[in-house]
Amino acid sequence: MLTLVPYVLASQGTMLAGRAGIFNVSQEGIMLAGASVGFLGAYLSGGNLLQGLVLATVTGALFGLALAYFTTTLKMDQFVVGLALFFIGLAISTLLYRLAVGVTLTPPLIPTLREIALPGLSHIPVVGEIVFRQNVLVYGAIVLSLILYLFLYTSGPGLALRAVGEHPMAADSLGVNVPVVRYVATVVGGMLIGLAGAYLPMVYTATFTDGIVRGRGWLSIALTFFGGWSPHLIFFGALFFAAVEVLAFRVQVTGIGVPYQVILMLPYLATMAVMMPTFRRLQIPAFLGKNYDRERRMLL
Amino acid sequence: MLRAGQPGGAPPLEMRGVRKAFGPVVALDAADFHLREREIHGLLGGNGAGKTTLMNILYGLYRPDAGEVLVGGRPAQIRSPRDALGHGIGMVHQHFLQIESFTVAHNVVLGTPSSRGLRLDLSGAEERIRTLAARFGLDVDPRALVAELPIGARQRVEILKALYRDARILILDEPTTNLTPQEVDALFGSLRAMVDEGISVVFITHKIREALNVCDRVSVMRAGRRVLSVEGREASDEVLVRALVGEDVDVRRSLLFSDERAARPTPAGRPALRVEGLSVTSPQGAPALRDCSLVVREGEVLGIAGVAGNGQRELVEALMGVRAAAGGRVWLDGTELTGAEAARVLAAGVAYIPEDRLQDGFLPKADVAQNLILGFHRRPPYGRGPWLDWPAVYDAARRLIAEYRIRTPGPHEAAVNLSGGNIQRVMLARAFSHPCRVLIAHNPTRGLDVPSTEFVYTKLLELREAGAGILLISEDLDELLLLSDRIAVVYRGQIVGTLPRPAFDRYALGRLMSGVADGG
Ligand SMILES: Nc1ncnc2c1ncn2[C@@H]1O[C@H](COP(=O)(O)OP(=O)(O)OP(=O)(O)O)[C@@H](O)[C@H]1O
Ligand SMILES: [Mg+2]
Repeated sequence: MLTLVPYVLASQGTMLAGRAGIFNVSQEGIMLAGASVGFLGAYLSGGNLLQGLVLATVTGALFGLALAYFTTTLKMDQFVVGLALFFIGLAISTLLYRLAVGVTLTPPLIPTLREIALPGLSHIPVVGEIVFRQNVLVYGAIVLSLILYLFLYTSGPGLALRAVGEHPMAADSLGVNVPVVRYVATVVGGMLIGLAGAYLPMVYTATFTDGIVRGRGWLSIALTFFGGWSPHLIFFGALFFAAVEVLAFRVQVTGIGVPYQVILMLPYLATMAVMMPTFRRLQIPAFLGKNYDRERRMLL
Repeated sequence: MLRAGQPGGAPPLEMRGVRKAFGPVVALDAADFHLREREIHGLLGGNGAGKTTLMNILYGLYRPDAGEVLVGGRPAQIRSPRDALGHGIGMVHQHFLQIESFTVAHNVVLGTPSSRGLRLDLSGAEERIRTLAARFGLDVDPRALVAELPIGARQRVEILKALYRDARILILDEPTTNLTPQEVDALFGSLRAMVDEGISVVFITHKIREALNVCDRVSVMRAGRRVLSVEGREASDEVLVRALVGEDVDVRRSLLFSDERAARPTPAGRPALRVEGLSVTSPQGAPALRDCSLVVREGEVLGIAGVAGNGQRELVEALMGVRAAAGGRVWLDGTELTGAEAARVLAAGVAYIPEDRLQDGFLPKADVAQNLILGFHRRPPYGRGPWLDWPAVYDAARRLIAEYRIRTPGPHEAAVNLSGGNIQRVMLARAFSHPCRVLIAHNPTRGLDVPSTEFVYTKLLELREAGAGILLISEDLDELLLLSDRIAVVYRGQIVGTLPRPAFDRYALGRLMSGVADGG
């Protein structure tokens, strides 16, 4: 359950921007920046995790804002901007850490997120301990997925968001403010991705290292595709992936005679195998990755 | 709510000195336009005359370089469709702006103030859609998925979108191009009902007959200006055509106004295209074309009539090798082409004008020249082994642009920037510029202006004179009556009758088309 959170947050963030037609590819960078800022925020305030989380979210929002500005306002290519932001995130995460902490022999530590047992439910035998004793962000990720699902499919703004990603000209012609929708979706999406980054030092390592994100950002793009850009499927896809990952880890620890490289591949292969049949039927937003300009003719 | 029967109705509207250029192309040059209260105002003009551009400016989609808009006598600032909707202006675009994966109701409520809240009140919206639909005769199921609706129903959805927003001025950009005659009649009925309730309508069309039939007033645009406005009563084909094309076309000698029953020698050439027992199954598994057999002789135009969606598309695509047939055989000049791929069919001497020019055989992002040689690019003079001879391609393109009078800044222009009619000219230039034995043309003049239509007809008849066989699939009965030597009618995927030219009769064809009669 623990490992689920960064995947869910980052993929839902990717989904939000994508539903507005903006294909964010800078997750890895945003998560690194979020991890670095989140760690420093907590470390420098003497272990105040909330401050770290808030700062990481703000960092993510800034990245989202930059992505939206360059693509929606300046109409630059989404992939180029996304890759640039990835490198910027990579660079400033290390830079900030070095500036604030310097080079130390023993890594500076912060406390990790406490687990909260849900009263009553956590006493259910077996399941109770696994499911209902979690840190706050695990609950948060579950509730978030549910809210996003309801938002997207039952609310008016959700309808507008989907419309912008499918056919911005149709949305525009009915008075939907396409740039505003794109900005909001990308900024909120960035916030979630930044938060996903901050989660890593606060749960796994208690400190920041350059390799802390380890491809989870890129993976979240894949999970978003596998989840068909739908919040509920993304959640289940991430859950499945995280479960196989934990399983693989257990197998590795108990040590049966399989090379560990093969075991490390397992989550990826299993997720592909399970999601492939659904993936074929699922749709991606028709306007994903394209910029909208009212006066330029375009055909979908 | 709609202010039904409110005295005065929609405010009059005026556009003055509107100018708009797209790069080097001046689409509008000091254009003006005046819409009175409670009228159906026809707007005619050649392809690229600027009709769509003018209306897009009114609807806030394009920003004019100069000029002003007055609604009810007062200057109106229209910077976005939202502003236009606020002034009670609604627009149905030439190419529908609909989200296919949404239901009708979702498409309609999108962007309305009541849909900005967190809870979408869909049942209320559906109720309102049903009421409006009943009031104006625009029958459609609000819960249906737009992707699954036929074109006529999608058209009604577009109109309902505007009515739902209390539009008092409704712009319709070539609304009849894709409709069957019955649907056109129904549309006109709905428009009348709207005018009776005080709505004004701008009706863009290429069909002079339609304009004369339903419009209270008609304006004609040419080269970015309005050149004529007349009362419907005072208008005639001659007046309108003269305004449309200038002085350089002799209306009386025009093919378009010639007698469609004029006798013609019956062609007795050898069979050029022979089809036997062709069947096609739809992706859903239903039979879309059943046991279809036909022969197109050299020097003959075989027309295929029918209401859209009765298997025409399947027939054409199976012949062209872009869709697999479930059974049947095809020969070209005695060579069997059954199951051949599109590249082989083209190489064997079949030319093709597809129906949906935006989907098939057209590359929006490629330039005009590349579109002009598409499908012929592997062979000389354009292809040399794996390479393309670009100078030859662009030379040929310049020639074709001139010959077919394609309105574009040059062969390097992105094809997507062409106006609808000019895209069709590109397709025609491509099909006609290479020698062929058989031409398959599917709705070749849809959306074309009068001179272009005339041009296509002339080219088709020239090709017929040269001895090619022509399979002309069209939903335009006038066109079929004018050009065909024989007309076969398809209904529910079957050929239900074939009439030779001397037996042509509009009503007999109509009965076959609606499946009420069996022809011989
Ligand atoms: N968004 C655009 N970008 C570039 N050029 C454009 C654009 N819109 C229109 N044009 C050009 O402006 C001219 C007028 O086009 P417009 O679409 O208004 O013609 P139209 O009268 O509607 O013709 P049609 O009957 O073919 O639809 C054309 O030459 C067209 O190529
Ligand atoms: Mg037009």
